[in-house]
Amino acid sequence: MTIYSLYIYDRHCTCVYYQDWHRTKAPRPATEGGILPAVSQQLYQVRGEDGTLSVMNSSPRNTLSSSSGVVIAVNDELPRTPLLQTMPQPPAPKPVHTGLSFDEEAKLVYGVVLSLRNMIKKLSGQDEQFTNYRTSTYKLHLYETLSGYKFIMLSDPFSDSLRFILRQIYAGPFLEYVVRNPLVNMDSKEYGIDNEYFRASVDRIVRGLSVF
Amino acid sequence: MAIFGLWVINKAGGLVYQRNIGDGLPGLTSNEYLVLAGTLHGIHAITSRLSPTGSSSGAHTIEGEAFKMTILLTATGTKFVLLTSVVEPTADSVLQKVYEIYSDAVMKNPFHTPEMPIRSEAFDSRITALIG
Repeated sequence: MTIYSLYIYDRHCTCVYYQDWHRTKAPRPATEGGILPAVSQQLYQVRGEDGTLSVMNSSPRNTLSSSSGVVIAVNDELPRTPLLQTMPQPPAPKPVHTGLSFDEEAKLVYGVVLSLRNMIKKLSGQDEQFTNYRTSTYKLHLYETLSGYKFIMLSDPFSDSLRFILRQIYAGPFLEYVVRNPLVNMDSKEYGIDNEYFRASVDRIVRGLSVF
Repeated sequence: MAIFGLWVINKAGGLVYQRNIGDGLPGLTSNEYLVLAGTLHGIHAITSRLSPTGSSSGAHTIEGEAFKMTILLTATGTKFVLLTSVVEPTADSVLQKVYEIYSDAVMKNPFHTPEMPIRSEAFDSRITALIG
């Protein structure tokens, strides 16, 4: 029982959030301009290791996040540094990369989901929703909100339907820390929705699951 | 517990056999079925590349709220697709039997051109006997 990753897309087909847990094959870092800023901290961190992106620590606006008090979101182009200064971690072993870069992967995931959704609608002749598909190594689950946000989760192939968890993420952290957060620029097509509280809250929900 | 339809897709993504069983799903025009089969062929190839761990097969089952598609990919690249209700535990074994019938009634038929639409009464009647 494993959960691999979570993608959130808005109604403009752009990936606005990404997080992963047990992936053994990570995507290559996204190309410049391939994804929006503030989609995933992890991807920026990967780039930092390669030494290509050192701007993160020298951002002039970093003072905001290291000060005391609660900062829910910072209107900054770069992903925010954690509120709590974590201990420097030992360098992780270099991850095995899939052949795809993250922006290509995100587009493929969206393409597959959209095509399957249309296929299921056409075949059923009514407004029936596509819910999941399964291959030999993973299972993809989809939950689509009325506002057109698509929550997509990849898990191991033998898990039961995880739509209720995606719904829970939508009803809990997403509404609380993204929709009700005045600093998150939703629907902007320029920024993702990543912020400290949302990420921590999603992480807590997923790690608390028996299927994690 | 119901079977709605059977498709056979050749290795190039063309629909060579399509049959509706019962009236669980609305009928579409043959053109629409050809388009859907082509789309499925493409999606199947992409799904195997999205694996978060190890190398993966293509999609094996695709589920909606009220029906699912079970896909059997043979070693030669032909795909057998069975449309059933969501709870249909026999889908895999039915597909294996369809593959057997295909080998017997289509591949051993000297008048059949490979990769072309299947027009064989023997195949038709044996499929009817199996799932009709």
